[in-house]
Amino acid sequence: MTRRIEQVVIVGADAPAWMAAAAFQRSVSNAGIRVRVIELPTLLQPADAYSALPELAGFHRRVGLEERLLFSLCKAVPIAGQRFSNWSGAAPPFIHGYDRSPPPAAGLGFTQLWTKGRQKGLRTEFENFSLGAMAAKAGRVPATEPGAELHATFGYNLDARAYSALLKHFSTSGGVESKAATIGDVEIEGDRITAIILGDGERVEADLFVDASGPQAVLIGRMAGAEFESWREWLPCDRMLAVSAKALKPLPAFSQISAFRQGWIGLYPLQDRTAVVAAYDSRQISDENMLTDLPALANLPIGGEAIVSGLAQGIRRQTWVGNCVAVGESAFTLEPLDAVQLHIAHYCISQLMTLFPVEAGSFPEAELYDRIIRRAAINLRDFQFAHYKLNRRFDMPLWDGCRDAAPPETLQRKLDVFAARGRIPLYDDETFQEQGWESLFIGHGFMPQSYDPRVDAVPEQEHIALIQARLNDIVGLVEAMPPVDNFIAEADPYRQVETTAPRVGVN
Amino acid sequence: MSEPLDIVILGGGTAGWMAAAALVSLIPRTSCRVRLIESEEIGIVGVGEATFPEIRNFNDAIGIDEAEMMRATNAAFKLGIQFVDWGFKGSRYMHPFGVHGPVGMDHIFHHRWLRARRLGLKGDIQDYSFAAQAARDCRFELPETRSTQLDSAYTYAYHFDAGLYAVYLRGLAERRGVVRTEGKVKDVIQDPETGDIRSLLLESGEVISGDLFIDCSGFRSLLLGKTLGVGWEDWSKWLPCDRAFAVPSERDELSPYTRSTAMEAGWRWRIPLQHRTGNGYVFSTSFIDEDEAAASLMRSLETKALAEPRMLKFQAGRRVVNWANNCVAIGLAGGFLEPLESTSIYLIQVAIMHLVPLLPGRRVDPRLRDEFNRLIDLQYERIRDFLILHYKLNSREDAEIWRYCAAMDVPESLTRKIELFRHSAIIERYRDGLFPPTSWLSVFIGQGLIPEGYSPLADTMPGEALVTHMDAFRADILDRVEEMRRHERFIDLYCGAEPAVAPMGAEVRL
Repeated sequence: MTRRIEQVVIVGADAPAWMAAAAFQRSVSNAGIRVRVIELPTLLQPADAYSALPELAGFHRRVGLEERLLFSLCKAVPIAGQRFSNWSGAAPPFIHGYDRSPPPAAGLGFTQLWTKGRQKGLRTEFENFSLGAMAAKAGRVPATEPGAELHATFGYNLDARAYSALLKHFSTSGGVESKAATIGDVEIEGDRITAIILGDGERVEADLFVDASGPQAVLIGRMAGAEFESWREWLPCDRMLAVSAKALKPLPAFSQISAFRQGWIGLYPLQDRTAVVAAYDSRQISDENMLTDLPALANLPIGGEAIVSGLAQGIRRQTWVGNCVAVGESAFTLEPLDAVQLHIAHYCISQLMTLFPVEAGSFPEAELYDRIIRRAAINLRDFQFAHYKLNRRFDMPLWDGCRDAAPPETLQRKLDVFAARGRIPLYDDETFQEQGWESLFIGHGFMPQSYDPRVDAVPEQEHIALIQARLNDIVGLVEAMPPVDNFIAEADPYRQVETTAPRVGVN
Repeated sequence: MSEPLDIVILGGGTAGWMAAAALVSLIPRTSCRVRLIESEEIGIVGVGEATFPEIRNFNDAIGIDEAEMMRATNAAFKLGIQFVDWGFKGSRYMHPFGVHGPVGMDHIFHHRWLRARRLGLKGDIQDYSFAAQAARDCRFELPETRSTQLDSAYTYAYHFDAGLYAVYLRGLAERRGVVRTEGKVKDVIQDPETGDIRSLLLESGEVISGDLFIDCSGFRSLLLGKTLGVGWEDWSKWLPCDRAFAVPSERDELSPYTRSTAMEAGWRWRIPLQHRTGNGYVFSTSFIDEDEAAASLMRSLETKALAEPRMLKFQAGRRVVNWANNCVAIGLAGGFLEPLESTSIYLIQVAIMHLVPLLPGRRVDPRLRDEFNRLIDLQYERIRDFLILHYKLNSREDAEIWRYCAAMDVPESLTRKIELFRHSAIIERYRDGLFPPTSWLSVFIGQGLIPEGYSPLADTMPGEALVTHMDAFRADILDRVEEMRRHERFIDLYCGAEPAVAPMGAEVRL
């Protein structure tokens, strides 16, 4: 073996950079590897929020970050699902809940039983069979046990600046060195970064450079072979607007994502405010008009300054070149839809830990990392595009265009097999499993045309009983769950108790 | 309710009766009717006396009682496959049905082992596999499924008489409503426009119509290959063996593993059943002639032969698609991979279990067909690469076949896997397909590829503590293995077959 990696430099800002630092600090720094963060100026504004998938809890457990701190320091709200409205014409809104267990249903997927039931006249909406969705609807937090027959879990909405600060404190107090700086120059020889020159002239060398700088891609963007490939043919929104609005009372257990003529708007409840994000297509509406329309679309009193930024969805042709590896949005960018934003960083960092290079001389791990990241990115992109593709908003250029756009082959197969038989072909490196895709497709009104022939082996009485039992079980489980406000109060006993009595009502 | 789907299965070997039994057991008769056509005049290539643990899911799904099935097929348990002389002369390693190291640690365990080795640890990687140790010691008990202890660190499969397994399934299938027709196909009648198969004309004059035809006609691939003209993809440049001799011999020690011994022009299997031992030599005529191979097999037997060796011809590869028009090929009619990793019955099973949920209506939905073909291709290709690995990864200089294989070009996906393991000890995971990283690890290490590096994540524990920890874990395994029953004893108690001698040697089995 040639020389081990001795020095890792992470370049970036905000949560992605500090997530990487925390993960490295927790593992490889015990193996004698020095980790240093070159902290670039923040990209965050006061209005920004992170909406995180349940997987983030796993990250916190791994690095040893107490969940309690999210509630006391980051204005966190537990989120049981994403609620989508106005995407599909007259179809009712639906919630994509974070269900975890494969639903027990005579050994078959529950969707198969539901599809037959529907053909026989069952009128109960699909989301009623999702524990996560029903918890979200009731404003309650699914804290069921893994291993239970029905199990759902929750993600978080977090104040972006507070969460980044928490991770920074966590990493630096754990021993990660850091320096606030800007990048002056990057010295590249062949496919290697030999050093980065900071704004103050310091020359920083390392065996491995981790680019966690987000869409600016300050390092990977300079490497040959890492050109940006755009996905705009599928994801047309190229502008984003962020602003804060009044807090919702009682706090809902879901984020609300509504389509409008020129894009979509998301309301992300936090403890003290509601973060509002709009993503839209500049070919359809100007920034000024978007600002004018915003209060009516949000239907909430808006406060503070609105910040407009560009949005470019796509992926680097290579996400690891030489000794430079991109994690998070420097590798690929998507819309902040489906709470994937932090997940991108989390996913890349976990892969980098698994594939952490064994030596400083060559990086055969790069090829596998790149393949995994690309597959994961494509699966996520397809999930987001499916919202657009399945829309039923007619006579609006943005939405008509998306409906007509040819999906990538990977998504086309999912749509075909689901339409034909209610099954989801899952590929390697999927973030969302069957239940996620099913709730997305069915929620948007895209129904299976036939079901698994084994369903017909279930006697009709038993079939009805299975469906009924599931509804009853979910109602019972949801009733026992704590409302969001109670959950937060309990998760953070040190938080200042409001003067009003704790709310127990559900909306 | 619409008319039930008429399914016609052509061929009644292991593939045909597995398909028939599954379809009739899983799908109600109001939805489909199953007919099977076979001829007693046509020999059966009963595939696979050795199985993979997935067979248990199949048996469970169709409601088979394990002990009863084992008694009926003279079955024994199997905890893995032992490879002898593979990679280099004198090698001996186990590909176990279970992880190396503690449950839930397989992502990091071998990195720790590599580090501990440099610190002076003596143990081979197999010493840390519970399944490998139990197998080596000829012990067996049923695993616990709910614990995270050693008792759940393994799974198991069977050695059985594949001919008797087909007979057992036939009984079950016929009791449940499959109609069997004795006869040979004389002609196949197709729709002139679409090419879909309409009916089969038997030599007896009987015409059997159907909506969906399952081709289990073996290597002849009468429907998919011959009638529909689906081409064959030849993989013999990577897997050069093209013949096998098989011969039963008297019962030997009932070891709970298959043994595969690398030979001068291929490899030899040894499969212990309750009443006899199955033996065979898979070889390549590019490197040895048939008579010599037969003699070599007979010389190598450890117990007395019970019949003359019988020969089978084949080629590694698969049909370009396994489902075309209204015809699905299952088993040898769809493809062949040598039984080096006991995958023949698995490939039948996986085709059936993919077909059932995607079963078409009376008109074939191309979306279902394409998905089936995609899933089957993945299975074939991943098994193929794993088999090629055994041949490619060798430093034997003593025979032409091994020199050829060491030098041959292999699929790029495999080259990348080997090189990444060599450099970093990293093994890629995949969702669909048979072999988990622990399987790849067994072969890599067993055939002499010790990685140059290991993950720095394995460097976190102090070195001395690591070695102590590894030693303690190894001792735990040995203690627990000693508490287990002897495999023979367990079989007697659980599923001992009647002493009556079952038919043997009547057909060639792989």
